[in-house]
Amino acid sequence: MNKLLKKQGSNICFGVIVLILAVMPLLYLRGVMNGSTISFLGKCIAFAVAAMGIDMIWGYTGILSLGHGLYFALGGYAMAMYLKLQSTGGKITDFMHTGGFTELPLVWKPFLNLPLSLLLIMLVPGVVAGLIGYFIFKSRVKGVYFFIISQVLTWAAYSIFIALSPYTNGNVGITEIKSIFGSIKGSSNIGNMLLLFYVALLIMILIYALCRFLVNRKFGKLLIAIRDGENRTYFSGYRVSNYKTFVYVLSAVIAAIAGAIFVNFNGSITPSQMTISYSITMVIWVAIGGRGTIIGAVIGAFLINLSEYNLSSGAMVEIWQYIIGAVFCITILFFKGGIVGFVKDQLPAFIASRKRKKNKGEEVPTKA
Amino acid sequence: MEQFVSTLFNGLSLSSIILLTSLGLSITFGLMRVINMAHGEFVMIGAYMTYVTQQIFTSILPEGASDIYYIISIPVAFVTGFILGSLLEKFVISRLYGREIDSLLATWGISLILQQAARSIFGTQGVNVTAPAFLQGGITIGGCTFSFNRIFIIFLVLFCLLIVWVIMYKSNFGKQMRAVMQNRPMAQCMGINSRRVDNITFALGSGLAGIAGCSVALLGSIDSTVGQSYIANSFMAVVLMAVVLGGVGKLAGAVLGSTIIGSASIFTENYTSSTIAKAIVLLIVIIFLQKRPQGLFVIKSRSLDE
Repeated sequence: MNKLLKKQGSNICFGVIVLILAVMPLLYLRGVMNGSTISFLGKCIAFAVAAMGIDMIWGYTGILSLGHGLYFALGGYAMAMYLKLQSTGGKITDFMHTGGFTELPLVWKPFLNLPLSLLLIMLVPGVVAGLIGYFIFKSRVKGVYFFIISQVLTWAAYSIFIALSPYTNGNVGITEIKSIFGSIKGSSNIGNMLLLFYVALLIMILIYALCRFLVNRKFGKLLIAIRDGENRTYFSGYRVSNYKTFVYVLSAVIAAIAGAIFVNFNGSITPSQMTISYSITMVIWVAIGGRGTIIGAVIGAFLINLSEYNLSSGAMVEIWQYIIGAVFCITILFFKGGIVGFVKDQLPAFIASRKRKKNKGEEVPTKA
Repeated sequence: MEQFVSTLFNGLSLSSIILLTSLGLSITFGLMRVINMAHGEFVMIGAYMTYVTQQIFTSILPEGASDIYYIISIPVAFVTGFILGSLLEKFVISRLYGREIDSLLATWGISLILQQAARSIFGTQGVNVTAPAFLQGGITIGGCTFSFNRIFIIFLVLFCLLIVWVIMYKSNFGKQMRAVMQNRPMAQCMGINSRRVDNITFALGSGLAGIAGCSVALLGSIDSTVGQSYIANSFMAVVLMAVVLGGVGKLAGAVLGSTIIGSASIFTENYTSSTIAKAIVLLIVIIFLQKRPQGLFVIKSRSLDE
C-alpha cells in the first residue's frame, strides 16, 4: 500500500482532483453552486494547464522564463479572434472599423475557419518560441540573462499589442465573446457550459498525461540533468540547446492552449494577461505547488486561484497581497519543493529524524 | 535646434535617474549575480520618504524654513533604503546563496508586500511633493528652458556617482568589493568577509535607489506603483538592459549603458512613435546579448560558468 502510494502518489492525487472537478457541474445542476463558480473553475483548469507548461521549463529544465504570459495571451487572442469573428458573422469588428479598416486585415483572415484557428493557436506561439529559443539557447544565454531577455520580450510584445490597436483593440482587448460552443451565461445555456467544462477537463488530463509521459522517461531525466549540471550534460555528448529549445516550444504551446481555454470561460482577453507580473504570477503557482513535479503545478494553480477567489473580496483584498507575497517568499526560502516537496520529502525526513532521536534517547540509558 | 537641446536636456535628466537605479542593480548583480526585483520599490520608498519628510517639516517649521526639507530628505531616503536593503539581504538573499534565480523570485515576493504596504499606509491615491522654492522655475537660454529641478537632479546624480567612485576605487572596502566581484573564493582565502561585503554592497545599492526616489518625487506624483511604473516604462527593461549592456559591476559600464538607454528612449520617443522606440531598444539588447552576453566591459576569465 505504502509502495503504491509512493509510486503512484501523484497520479492518484491527480485522479482525485479530476474526480472532484467532474462532480462540480452536477452540484451546479442541483443548484448548490452558481454558474460563475463553475466558469471560475474552468479558468482554474486553464491556469493549471499553463502551470504544467511552466513546470516543464522551470521546474524540470531550470530555465526561468517570464515570457509565458505572452504565449498564454497569443493563444488567447487567436481563440478570441475566431470567436469574435463568429459573433460578427465574418464581418470586421467595431474596433477595426474605428481603426480605419474597411475589410478584415489579412492576418486575421485565417481565423474565420475553426480547424485552421485551432491549428494556429498552437502553431503561432510554437514558431515564435522556436525562433526565440533557437537563437537564445544556441548562443548559450542562460540563467539570469535568459530571464532578462524573456522579460524584455514580454514587455515589448505587450507594448506592441497596445500600439497596434486597429488589429488588437489596444488596452481594451477583445471582449464580449461567446465560448466555442455558444453562450455559457444564464441557465438556458447549461448544456454549453457543461460541454465546455468537460472538454477543458479532458484537455487538462491529456496535457497531464503528455507531461508525465515525457518526464518519466530518459527525456525527463535529461531535462533534470540540464537543470542540475548543464556543462556536464554538454560534456556527456548531448545537444543541450536542442533539448532546451524543444522544452521551450512545448511549454509555449501548452501555455497557448491554456490561453485558448481561458478565453472560452472568461469571455474576453486583454493585454494585461501579457504582462510580466502575470507571468510571474504563473511562476508563483508552480513554486508554491511544488516545482519539478507535474502534480505540484496543478495543485498550486488550483490552490492559489481558489484562495484568491475566496479571499480577495471585501476586507481581505488588502491582506491577500501580503499573504501571497509572504507565502511565496517563505516557500522559496524554506520549502524549495513547494507543497508537494514538503509532503513527499521534507515531512518524511523530519519524521525519520525525530524517530532516530527518540531511539537514541532510549539507547542512552541502556548504554549507561 | 531648440527642440533638440531641450530633448537632449530631458534625455540627460532621465538618464541620470536611470543611472542612479542601475548603479545599485549593477553592483549587486556584479557581486552576487542577483537581480533585485524589489529595486523599484526602493525607489518608491525613497519617494515616499521625501513626502514624509516634507509633511513633518511643514508641520513643525515656519513657512520659509520648511524648504530645507528636501535637502534633509536625501540622506533620510538613503538611510532608509540602506537599512531596508541590508535587512532584505540578511533575511532573504543571503539565505539563498548560490540560487540566483530563486533569490530573484523571492525579491519579487518582497516587492508585492512592499507595494501593498505603501497602499495601506499612504492610500491608493497619489501624493505630491511640492518642490522647494529654490528648485522652482528655471533658466532660459536662447529659447530653451532648463528647469532647476532637472538641473538639480543631474548634479545630484553626478555627486552620487563621485561618491560611489570614491568608495569603489579609492577605499579599502571598495578594494574588497572588487576582489569579491572578480574571484570570490580567492578573496575569501585572503581573509575578506565576503558576506559582509555582499550585505553592505546590497544596502548601498538600495540606498542609491532611495536617492533616485527623491529625484523621482520632484518630477511627478507618488503612488505605490511609482517604482513599478518608472521601472516598467523606462526602468524595468531599461535598467536591466543598462545592467546587461553596460557590463556588470563596472562603473563605466553602468554610466555608458544608462546614458545610451536614457537618451535613446527620450530621443526615439520624441522623433518616432514610442513602440518603435521600444522595439529598437529591444533589438539592440538582443543583438548585444547575442554577441556579448557578459556586457561590454568584462574581466577576462577562463571559468566555465561566467
